[in-house]
Amino acid sequence: MTQTIGIVFALAVLLAAPAPAAAHHAFAVEFDAKNCADVTGVLTRVSYENPHAYIFLDVKGGDGPTEEATFQLSSTSNLRRGGATPAVLNASVGKEVVVRGCASRNGERHRYAASFIKLADGTVQRLGQDVEGIFGTKIWR
Amino acid sequence: MKTIARLALAAAALVPAAVAAQDPPRTFVEARGSVKPVPLPPGGPTPRLADGRPDFSGVWFPGPTGRANAWSVVPDEPVKEDPIPFQPWALEKYNAMTRTEKELFANANVQCLPPGTPGMFTENPYAIRLITKPGLFVHLIENNNRWRVVHTDGRPHKPAEELEPLFNGDMVGRWEGDTLVIDSISIDTRTWIRDGWFHSEDLHVIERLRRPSRNYLEYQFTIEDPKVLTKPWTSAWRTYSLSVNDEDLTENFCTNNQQVEQLRKLIEVEKSKGIQR
Repeated sequence: MTQTIGIVFALAVLLAAPAPAAAHHAFAVEFDAKNCADVTGVLTRVSYENPHAYIFLDVKGGDGPTEEATFQLSSTSNLRRGGATPAVLNASVGKEVVVRGCASRNGERHRYAASFIKLADGTVQRLGQDVEGIFGTKIWR
Repeated sequence: MKTIARLALAAAALVPAAVAAQDPPRTFVEARGSVKPVPLPPGGPTPRLADGRPDFSGVWFPGPTGRANAWSVVPDEPVKEDPIPFQPWALEKYNAMTRTEKELFANANVQCLPPGTPGMFTENPYAIRLITKPGLFVHLIENNNRWRVVHTDGRPHKPAEELEPLFNGDMVGRWEGDTLVIDSISIDTRTWIRDGWFHSEDLHVIERLRRPSRNYLEYQFTIEDPKVLTKPWTSAWRTYSLSVNDEDLTENFCTNNQQVEQLRKLIEVEKSKGIQR
């Protein structure tokens, strides 16, 4: 688990020099690397399937109504081997989580690619490609 | 009206961070991936089959770590390869596609189509299991539960009148020393060499596999396509490593593919905005 969570870094340093994501097989084609945010909401559902898994959050915007946000994840192969197993994700269903998401470039509302999730117990799991290139990590769909 | 205003407010709250370009970054992200890119040691001599040829049997991952490396903490080193020697008309066709069009129309994985040859190796980020026996090479591919079986006894291709277009092609294998050579022809033109690199029905793919030590597999391919290229093109050698945990392949079927619809929408958006090619 400690390996998964990694080390806490100065966030400003991390974001200071975002490497452009490689064009090869990138979520960066479908999602906007310049339009990413931490999205907080209640995890309502985990859809563990291929070619991509999905999670759904109920997100409340200010005083407005709650809306559903869809997050596209990597494949079940990568999720399982990376530690985000069905049990790990489902343990936070019904609870508040924070997801790092990059918005769809086709304008569809509340559709994101998810790179990381902070689960209800505070642990962080990798969910998908590093669309933003924050870490310059390998890009695979 | 009130409802619309509230919805707008909600939408504004959901719009991600670019709107706050002046603000300090506020991502919670603390993880840097989960795989340390420590290359495996050579691991000992090349295992051999009863006939003395190298035995490629085992579960293999792309890269040098012996693990699924999608979450590697460092970027892949770019592979140095020659530019594709397209004929002028082919280069024009290749360059006419936008990045989104290449992703949607010329990428087997996005379409959940068979990736073909050499895509079975090069377009597969997941685990594979190889089984070799004297005279036989079995390639089991986790991604979409694919497989191929190639005779490696040096037999010739089917006679020309018996050939039909196949996604993986008509494949035969032979040994050149310790290198297994898989020769494929009659490959369906609905496959791509890689994103946007289309081919003709005359495509001839020569794949080479070797196992220099227990823990490493190396793969290279040559593309001959006289209707599209000015000369043959040979890839760099790519590295695969033996699974440190001897992992099982997992079931992986492409049953809920939303990318095609999403990318189609994106192409419409880009067209309406006059995106430059």
